[in-house]
Amino acid sequence: MRFFPRIFAADARVTPFDSDAARFDARRMGMWIFLVVLALLFVSTIFGYLFVRVENASTWLDGNPPPPPTILLYSTVALLLSSWTMHLALRAAERGERAQGKWMLATLGLALFFLTLQAFAWVQLIQENLTISTGLYAWMFYVFTGLHAVHVIGGLIPLLLTTARARRCEYGPNDFGGVLCTAMYWHFLDGAWIVLYLTLLLGSR
Amino acid sequence: MTTSSHTGHAQSTDNYLTFTRGIKSWMFTLDHKRIGVMYLVSVLASFFVGGLFALIVRTKLLTPGEVSWIDADQYNQAFTLHGAIMVFLVIIPSIPGALGNFVLPIMLGAKDVAFPRLNLFSYYLWVTGAFLSVYALLAGGFDTGWTFYTPYSTTTETAGVIPVVMGVFVLGFSSIFTGLNFVVTIHKLRPPGMTWFRMPLLLWALYATALIQVLATPVLGITLLLLIIERAFGIGIFDPGMGGDPVLFQHFFWFYSHPAVYIMILPGMGIISEIIAVHSHRQIFGYKYVAFSSIAIAIFSFLVWGHHMFTSGQSELMNVVFSFITFSVAIPSAIKVFNWLATLYKGAIVLNTAMLYGLAFMFLFTIGGLTGLPLGTLNVDIHLHDTYFVVAHFHYVMMGSALIAMVGGIHHWWPKMFGVMFSEFWGRIGCTLVFVGFNVTFFTQFMLGSQGMPRRYYMYQPEFQTYHVISTMGAYCMALGFFVTAAYLLHSLFFGKKAPANPWGGRSLEWQCTSPPPHDNFSTTPSVGNPYDFSDVRWNEAEQGYEIDPNAVPSKDTH
Repeated sequence: MRFFPRIFAADARVTPFDSDAARFDARRMGMWIFLVVLALLFVSTIFGYLFVRVENASTWLDGNPPPPPTILLYSTVALLLSSWTMHLALRAAERGERAQGKWMLATLGLALFFLTLQAFAWVQLIQENLTISTGLYAWMFYVFTGLHAVHVIGGLIPLLLTTARARRCEYGPNDFGGVLCTAMYWHFLDGAWIVLYLTLLLGSR
Repeated sequence: MTTSSHTGHAQSTDNYLTFTRGIKSWMFTLDHKRIGVMYLVSVLASFFVGGLFALIVRTKLLTPGEVSWIDADQYNQAFTLHGAIMVFLVIIPSIPGALGNFVLPIMLGAKDVAFPRLNLFSYYLWVTGAFLSVYALLAGGFDTGWTFYTPYSTTTETAGVIPVVMGVFVLGFSSIFTGLNFVVTIHKLRPPGMTWFRMPLLLWALYATALIQVLATPVLGITLLLLIIERAFGIGIFDPGMGGDPVLFQHFFWFYSHPAVYIMILPGMGIISEIIAVHSHRQIFGYKYVAFSSIAIAIFSFLVWGHHMFTSGQSELMNVVFSFITFSVAIPSAIKVFNWLATLYKGAIVLNTAMLYGLAFMFLFTIGGLTGLPLGTLNVDIHLHDTYFVVAHFHYVMMGSALIAMVGGIHHWWPKMFGVMFSEFWGRIGCTLVFVGFNVTFFTQFMLGSQGMPRRYYMYQPEFQTYHVISTMGAYCMALGFFVTAAYLLHSLFFGKKAPANPWGGRSLEWQCTSPPPHDNFSTTPSVGNPYDFSDVRWNEAEQGYEIDPNAVPSKDTH
């Protein structure tokens, strides 16, 4: 309700739960299910890659395609760090500490840094004449990184909203659901990226 | 619209329809009942459009040769639109979105679904998907068939393919969020006393459906995304020329779309469980078997997708495995049918419109289900694959079962939704026309298919014409039936008799609140009991409805 104060009627029932605790519980469960949905999205993409890889086992690396750029290693570190700052932000929010704003801001910064590095990786590969239409190897690289980047970009919206609130130190022991859900999503993106990155590394040899 | 003040159970005069007024109060409503009604209107509008395309297809097929008013390309677009609209815009969202949204929280005894804003968001995703489909139509149409099979969908020149695929992608997320909402609602919003085994069977069915929606739809999402990328950038994961594989598309597509068949039928089965029990005033037979068979169907649904691909060149071993598992689906389905039959036995059956649709469902679903068995048999399927036999089979299941259940459910809950009674006389006539028309249309197609008439053909051999003409006449009869239905339902909105709280003698919670329900569903916390124990339900002549006799000796909770 806080973010969309005007469009809903004043007497609209934003939640059917009688207690904040019950609502919190439901939000966490909903978030878990949502993460399962996203996991299936990534798993089926990897399955698609494995399917064509097996069918093209002998021709997969024809033409010596460039391996994933080293820059991805740095972006991986950035994303891992952002997961850590997110965790610190969550702990601060749980306790209602002032540090929540600082750590959320750090997470936001690292997220943007990660996206910048990913973009550089794309630029580098395009300069090496590997575009998405080059072949299935390039398909794998761009679809994996692209799909993940889309989810990071999507995650910036809740990240921005929760950061704004955390800057005002609005989260506390009884109300940190927003940070929790953002954190769950963020750790999931971190894990998904590790799996995708490893698949990319293995797929390039 | 009527106000409901004298229905005996509730003292409040508010009802959700008039709780707040104005177009904005509907557009931005968070009330699950209003969102359900908006879904209902949207889905029925799409049903009308999809039905028109069906009539265009059937009318063309009156003659075997070319006709002047529609050429082969337009015909391809017409059946594609019919299929895509009916599957993605009508049947998949129909029961969960419209009726599920309306009755699920009330049946459960909750004020709303767990995430009301997400619920509204789902609805607007549906609207976005619908607009994208309309845009696709205006942008040049699409003629891929509703399955979007590659390589056709990546190479056909119709310009509407990308918009419609994006539309279906968005609709998929609408479906996922509805499913997510329902799962959390059923887990977290059951009031005290509402145990899992006191939930009406519709809730079990919607729960099983929601699990499939959540677990299968993401796979469709990624498939469609890859299809869009492939078509837009010319990369080849589905293109054998570049090392890709069109069969991969089929695996992906059916990994979603076979479970999606159960997204369509399971809620229908749930509605039938309600209708059969309430209108025969008899404790549902084998409650737990019906409940668990819903879950069993949901599990099986993920293991049978390969039976759509017996002729696509997958390995023979896989064919045999998929064929075997496909037969297993017959078991939970039959458990349901036999339990409904046993419920009817010695019941006080009232043959009103809702019950007629319920009985029609049982008849049509049995035919639809049993004709699935020959299609699951490998050698028979080679002969029947892509013929009208398949068309007839899935219409018996999708339309004869899922949609008939939807229409039955609309009649069952119409008094609850709008607080008015419709004309039972015209209701029975409408149902009869639909039932007869449906069988004339599609039973004929079993004959056509077994004699070799392929599906989706614009022109055909003249010896098939008699069957095609009969089938088309049936389609017109069905259309007439639906027009009659639409007419008396609309009539009832303005001139219908005021509905009592409990017109049919139902025992589940939605019949304990007024018709239409108040904004908060219940003015007092309802008492939760066995939803199928009709022993204390009495007819009240003054209210022209049923009420629960507080003095009745409570029977033992039999499950």
